[in-house]
Amino acid sequence: MEYKYKNVMVVDDNQIDLYIAEMVMMTTRFAEKVICVSSAKEALAYLKPLYEAPEELPKLIFLDINMPEMTGFDFLNEYERLPENVRKQCIIMMLTTSLDENDRKQAEGNQFVKRFLNKPLDRDKIAELM
Amino acid sequence: MVPQQTYQALHTSYLEKVKLRSDRLMNYFLGSFFVCGLSLAFFYDTWLVAIGIGSLSLIAYYSTKWLLPHSDAYQYMVSIVFGIFMAQFIYQMHGLFEMHFIAFVGSAILITYQNWKLQIPLAALVIVHHASFGYLQYIGYDKIYFTQLDYMTLQTFIIHGILATVIFFICGLWAYQMKMLSERQIRQTFEMGRFQEEQLQRQALLQSNEELKKSNKELDSFVYSVSHDLRAPLSSMLGVIGICEMGDPGPFMEKNISLLKTSIKKLDGFIMDILDYSRNARLEVEKQEIHFDDLVTEITNNLKFMGADDQRKVDIRTNVRNGIAFYSDKSRLSIILNNLISNSIRYQNPEAAEPFVEVRVEVSETSASILIRDNGIGIDKENQGKVFNMFYRVSTKSLGSGLGLYIVKEAVEKLNGVIQLESETGKGTHFNIRLPNFAHSPLITT
Repeated sequence: MEYKYKNVMVVDDNQIDLYIAEMVMMTTRFAEKVICVSSAKEALAYLKPLYEAPEELPKLIFLDINMPEMTGFDFLNEYERLPENVRKQCIIMMLTTSLDENDRKQAEGNQFVKRFLNKPLDRDKIAELM
Repeated sequence: MVPQQTYQALHTSYLEKVKLRSDRLMNYFLGSFFVCGLSLAFFYDTWLVAIGIGSLSLIAYYSTKWLLPHSDAYQYMVSIVFGIFMAQFIYQMHGLFEMHFIAFVGSAILITYQNWKLQIPLAALVIVHHASFGYLQYIGYDKIYFTQLDYMTLQTFIIHGILATVIFFICGLWAYQMKMLSERQIRQTFEMGRFQEEQLQRQALLQSNEELKKSNKELDSFVYSVSHDLRAPLSSMLGVIGICEMGDPGPFMEKNISLLKTSIKKLDGFIMDILDYSRNARLEVEKQEIHFDDLVTEITNNLKFMGADDQRKVDIRTNVRNGIAFYSDKSRLSIILNNLISNSIRYQNPEAAEPFVEVRVEVSETSASILIRDNGIGIDKENQGKVFNMFYRVSTKSLGSGLGLYIVKEAVEKLNGVIQLESETGKGTHFNIRLPNFAHSPLITT
């Protein structure tokens, strides 16, 4: 069975949630490689050297909202300033426990965000994305 | 805050000021009149009259004032005393015509009390004095000294009388008008005071309202943070459990995992119920257009993964008839529908052929009628009265926190609506909700 995506990135400060996402994506053959980063800053740092190699960019980015230092929304603001070829390559999914209607609205209003998912990530949710 | 002064109190205090000021003036005027009498005594050596009549007048005035301080009798006495001074001065100057002006001076002074009636005793005294003294002099009595003329012709007397009447009338009129002006001023002062006070009260109210809103908002975001922080580890646990299930746990572990999952979901549901409760209780009712179709779809999407593993999928049927725009509070409506639909899923009847829950909505200009009907296990008659109570759970098998229907009822009440329950054990449950359409009505927050 083929992998759905070559590279998928997960941005979450919670190590367990990173582990869950990685496990679920690997076992469902959703992603060949899961890039786990534990902060928005780290995510930006990871994306930077890949400007020249867009094929290496993650196709999907799962983004948590509630993170220290830089929240998911802060990341989106920075993301907006990235070169166009980067933005074209990546699709962003919010992955959060937030029940705040405003978070949902803000996320859905953002042009780069495709979906708003509630944690935990499990097979059913991945199946839906397949 | 200064308590509001009553109109009566303001009125009294204002008139009291007018009286005190006038009384003070009277002391000067009466003193001057007495001194004036003394100085006139030089002309014709009328010391006895100047001191005798003058002192008697002053004694009459001050004793009245002293004896009846709360009545205005002393003011009428002043009026009489002015008349007497006039007669005294005319006599002292042996009928010098200009001394008749003293009556006018007195009349003008009396205006200060703003009471036209005070003119009456003076006018009456002047009439009596003129008539009697004029007549006495006319018939030849000596030393009357009413006028320096030998006698006054009737024509002169009448003109004199008319002019005097005009003066008294005009002074009375001014007194009356000043009184009216005072009344108006008192009213204006009162209205102004009241207006200012209302303004202050409104400001204080606005301020406390702002503070309340702020603390509500803070509490809301606090509840959010807390619920988020409580739920985050739970969702991690569920995630890890999901991974465990992906392996081959075997029947023993599978059972344990399923128990863990149920507990976690229960706790998660409880946290969400508390969040809903807090939001419903604290947040203001907002007016938004409601699209029932979208709302129900959104809720069903969120409930997709709900239900125990051994339960069947419940068919959610929506039937919305809304040609008319409906306005209500979306978040509360969502709480209501979410709780009722998830109850229908949770308490489905294993014996029913195909479990379903039907959401039927009819919207009118004034209200929306929402019917939620399922073929679940139902609620028996004796429990139906209690299911809306806080923390009430029908049986030990109940999966929820006992908050769900309580929150539903609270939310319906916040939206000024009513909810009715019909249910039969083994057949299913109907919830009938009627909510007012806020399209045309202002919000009434309870």
